[in-house]
Amino acid sequence: MRKVFFSFILFFCIYSPLWAAIDTIAVDVGISVFKTMPLGVVPFEEKNGPIAWGEMPPHKILESDANLSGRFEVIASQKFDLVAFSRARAKFYVTGMVESLEDGMLKLSCYLYASQTKRLVFGESYKVAVQNVREAMHLFFDQVVFELWGERGVASTKLAWVRKIDGVKQVIYADYDGYRRRQATNDSAISMMPVWALGNRKLIFVSFRNEKPQLHVKDLDTKRVRRIYTNHKQSFSPAVNPITGEILFSVIRDGKTDLYLGDAEGKNSRRLSYLKSSQTSPAWSPRATEILFTSDRGGGPQIYVMGKDGSDVRRITFMGRYNEKAAWSPTGDRIAYTSMDNGKMNIYTCAFDGSDIVQLTSNAGNNEHPTWSPDGNLIAFASDRNGSYQIYIMRRDGSNVTQITKQGENTSPTWSWYDSPPPTSKKEGKK
Amino acid sequence: MKTMNWFLAGACTFLLFTACSNPPPAETDPAPKAKKTAIRVENTSKEDSLAAAERARLEAERLAAEKLEADRARLEEMINQLMSDDVYFEFDRFELTEKARELLAQVGDMLKAEERFIVTVEGHTDARGTEDYNMTLGGKRAMKVKEFLVAYGISSDRMETVSYGKEKPKVEGASEDAYSQNRRANFRVKIK
Repeated sequence: MRKVFFSFILFFCIYSPLWAAIDTIAVDVGISVFKTMPLGVVPFEEKNGPIAWGEMPPHKILESDANLSGRFEVIASQKFDLVAFSRARAKFYVTGMVESLEDGMLKLSCYLYASQTKRLVFGESYKVAVQNVREAMHLFFDQVVFELWGERGVASTKLAWVRKIDGVKQVIYADYDGYRRRQATNDSAISMMPVWALGNRKLIFVSFRNEKPQLHVKDLDTKRVRRIYTNHKQSFSPAVNPITGEILFSVIRDGKTDLYLGDAEGKNSRRLSYLKSSQTSPAWSPRATEILFTSDRGGGPQIYVMGKDGSDVRRITFMGRYNEKAAWSPTGDRIAYTSMDNGKMNIYTCAFDGSDIVQLTSNAGNNEHPTWSPDGNLIAFASDRNGSYQIYIMRRDGSNVTQITKQGENTSPTWSWYDSPPPTSKKEGKK
Repeated sequence: MKTMNWFLAGACTFLLFTACSNPPPAETDPAPKAKKTAIRVENTSKEDSLAAAERARLEAERLAAEKLEADRARLEEMINQLMSDDVYFEFDRFELTEKARELLAQVGDMLKAEERFIVTVEGHTDARGTEDYNMTLGGKRAMKVKEFLVAYGISSDRMETVSYGKEKPKVEGASEDAYSQNRRANFRVKIK
């Protein structure tokens, strides 16, 4: 949770209709310009005696959510402290009260207060078992984000990724902060490239159980695994349409890789691209009108964009020889991707037309596989900066890098969708 | 490596199975022999001719089994040879080197000599780069090998290609040595 993160910002401007590139590179080492809101956090009052919390008490979960969100600066205080909050300009603070009920459940009353007046801005209570406190706190925290920012938070979202267990890559998923981890596959063959189906109740991934890379779907409720698009011998690189749930994926046929578009049920598919080169790593624009992909038509991998019908192909990346695995931000304005230079992988973002390139990671091992949080504020990625590959989260400007997995080898994170439709503001019309 | 061993084991059991089923091997069932010795007491003259026929049959079967055993050993050696014949590539390239062509010519000769072999060509990459792009690269490498063998006269029906991308390294590690050994195509062999 380093507040100061050194980011080298490279501006790369492309002039003239002939694509004659004139690059002006400005290197900027400085503090993030991300706006954060100070937020007071006070431990919960334990009404009938101390409680044996799991990993952490509820206010610590809120602190962690606030730090990870990239939206807040936590002003921690043991009790309400107007002086401390005023000094830190924390106009609001969160706290709560916990009560153990007779049936062993906990009643968590959570509050967001205005510091100056101690006026209650918002309150919510949850009746949960002690092991579900995290879930309740994430829900409350997202309500706080919505009250204070008017935007949806991501504390209740999930991440899926690939973890090596006993030497075999398996698909696992967890809360976005890495807690409450569950294993989606337990196979003797490699499982990889997980992505979330719309609704977050299914994971689409690649399994080598038939000794070939083939797309499968795992239903997280019924636990059933089923092969999809069975007419393709080798399929991988799935990308889910954010509107319709259709799946774009790569198929290898006669040594050449092409993009196919399949229905959400995993049955029918049709070829989308008829290019001479190989195409992979498809990604949808937020409204699913355009598709990013990687093509090797120029020799090495470069990122291109085309309409969703395969028309109007334009190249996006021109700097460097290896640009891959593009991800379109949910807000639509930026594209994150992985670039390899001197054998090291780093994460960059650029505008949707390829201009305004910003390097987000540098001098910290390999950094790859960026995936956007549904609010577009954060990017999760895999890095071997501390030796083994682990999952990290950073803000969209590369600041506030937080490690969320600690052990083993963890790669290829994919952020889930929002779980439910957006909440309606209780203050609607009053503003 | 594990899968290779499995395939080898599979191929061996298959051969043993064929050896066992047709014709039946000599030393399968000791019970009939015991019966024969019991008969000997009653009719010795008949037994002599029977024993001679039995000996001849046993001898023929032993020879057949030996031949099968030799055949099995030869096939096993060939399979071992094929599975250890890795074709190496340059970084982010899929063209065959001169060395690779020489090796593939030997592989082609072996496949011509033993028509029963069906091979799967696996394409692999080193650990650098993304999973997705390396899958496409592995696919291209496997295809290049298959194309060479088709041009060498091997029927394309006998060959299947599969890409493992960077998922199945031969050597773990992040050294140039490990990388160069992992940028490869190798064979899995089945017997028709």
